[in-house]
Amino acid sequence: MRGRPFRFLPHTADLLVEARGKDLPELFARCVDALFSLISDRRYVRPAETRTVAVKADTREEQLYLLLRAALLLFSADRFLARTARVTMKKNAVALLVAGEPSDFSRHPIGREVKAVTAHALTVRETRDGVVARFVVDI
Amino acid sequence: MQFRDVSLRKLSDTMWEIPRSGGMRVPGLVFASERMMADIVRDEAIRQVMNVAHLPGILKYSIGMPDIHWGYGFPIGGVAAMDVAEGVISPGGVGYDINCGVRLLRSNLAMEGLRPRLRELVDGLHRDVPSGVGSTGLVRLAGKDEESVLSGGSRWCASHGYATAEDVAFTESGGAFPGADPDAVSPIAKKRGRDQLGTLGSGNHFLEIDEVAEIYDAEAAGVFGLFPGQAAVLIHSGSRGLGYQVCDDYLLTMADSMRRNRIELPDRQLACAPIRSPEGERYLSALAAAANFAFANRQLLAHLARETFLKVLGMGPRDLGMTLVYDCGHNNAKFEEHDVDGRRQRVLVHRKGATRAFPPGSPDIPEAYRGVGQPVFIPGEMGIASYVLAGSAGAMRLSFGSTCHGAGRRMSRTQAKASVRGKSIVREMENRGVLVACASQKTLAEEIPEAYKDVSEVVQVVHDAGIAVKVARLRPVAVVKG
Repeated sequence: MRGRPFRFLPHTADLLVEARGKDLPELFARCVDALFSLISDRRYVRPAETRTVAVKADTREEQLYLLLRAALLLFSADRFLARTARVTMKKNAVALLVAGEPSDFSRHPIGREVKAVTAHALTVRETRDGVVARFVVDI
Repeated sequence: MQFRDVSLRKLSDTMWEIPRSGGMRVPGLVFASERMMADIVRDEAIRQVMNVAHLPGILKYSIGMPDIHWGYGFPIGGVAAMDVAEGVISPGGVGYDINCGVRLLRSNLAMEGLRPRLRELVDGLHRDVPSGVGSTGLVRLAGKDEESVLSGGSRWCASHGYATAEDVAFTESGGAFPGADPDAVSPIAKKRGRDQLGTLGSGNHFLEIDEVAEIYDAEAAGVFGLFPGQAAVLIHSGSRGLGYQVCDDYLLTMADSMRRNRIELPDRQLACAPIRSPEGERYLSALAAAANFAFANRQLLAHLARETFLKVLGMGPRDLGMTLVYDCGHNNAKFEEHDVDGRRQRVLVHRKGATRAFPPGSPDIPEAYRGVGQPVFIPGEMGIASYVLAGSAGAMRLSFGSTCHGAGRRMSRTQAKASVRGKSIVREMENRGVLVACASQKTLAEEIPEAYKDVSEVVQVVHDAGIAVKVARLRPVAVVKG
């Protein structure tokens, strides 16, 4: 696996995220990393507690969309910041395990407010050395 | 002018038609000067205007404002009116930030006298008005209060000492959309909003102190209580996490219902449901509830700003005279009456990044303004200029009573951030005479003035097209951002 696990690309008004992984579980985990890197700086987040999220869908695009939507709620509804993410998959079920801690913006640098992950232009495709996903977040 | 393989037809110096093609039910209509159009055709906004024209029940035109830019599903700066019987409602046609909008507070103060106190004021506002990711507001909503905010909007604020009767009267729809149903808002959405009432948020949201720099229409300015050199406060915020989640929840519900009903559209974010369907009606009641949350949010922000001014300047409310000119949203869907092909008809108008701009004589605006039209506020690039306009008869004729909402992005967030690497935005803004306080340097870098179109050009286009009338220009002197 070469290159950065994820990067942010231009999209007027919002942000386009591109992430890579050797397989789907790794790719999905990198997408979650990217999401939390937008909200704060993950280097300041301690992996003190864990949270889990589970979604089910028939296509990998739908799986990624529902997974990111649920991951965002960890922060936006429960004020939890993730430092690391691990994903396991079985048939059409995707399970996410994150390690992190409740947000405390006296210690965690303030990043961007992510309103939502959009289904617009969300893609998952195979490349020579793995899989790559793109999605737009509304800031 | 070409957009890919589509030839745009120039109707006038400020109007362009996108001819019908493929599955488009109506043509597109974009308000822009030739120079702005050359910029607009570079991204996908025109394609999105065309996509919206595919929606069932759309009337007359799929409309784009001069500040239009590439969104997801609908363009930002888009207007679409739907036939109530045949048409659809689309959460993507309103946007995530339901009833995001702008309010202007006037004052009795002249900027000249206020200038030495500006630093104290901006620091005070930054301290007292919660902003940025994860900030929490002064009230934590629970139980009955939450329900009352969702059904009563600004009226809840008035009953809790956060609003005057005048504040409520000078807010669009009296500060509360009818038909709101708190039960149509999911528990998760309520949770996202519970501690966010009275918080500014992040991104392009702001609170700024302005000086009335130039008056174009003395009569309207007089009626709005504005005079040259006056200090005023402009607030831009929306329905916070609660609104974002309502949109997200219903996009999913409607995508499911479309799959079941085998409705195909060019973009998933255009997910929609018939206005007269259980999903459509439920979304409309959730939308109204979220809109009311936004009215209450901006009202609380105004309350906090007033308190800060009173405290810092040590004066009484009467001397300060910080009263509401008007509050109007720019991400909404509303039932309104419009003329369609010579017939008066009830329609549902989607405005995503477009401001309602009702003309003189409209029964839907405060009586005090019926001689000159509804006030419209157009925030510009950070620290450059913002405008006060008035609604006009032209808007009723051409754009379902709508006009632009801001400068519109020209540069993506990543480009903006890259262009300022290593520079201190706060210092640069100070050199331009604008004090800035912000929660996040990252957000600030993405909001540099160069990232936006020239607001003066946007405003000139809507003025020349006759879909609003220029009243006054405001010069920002201090900005608080999330």
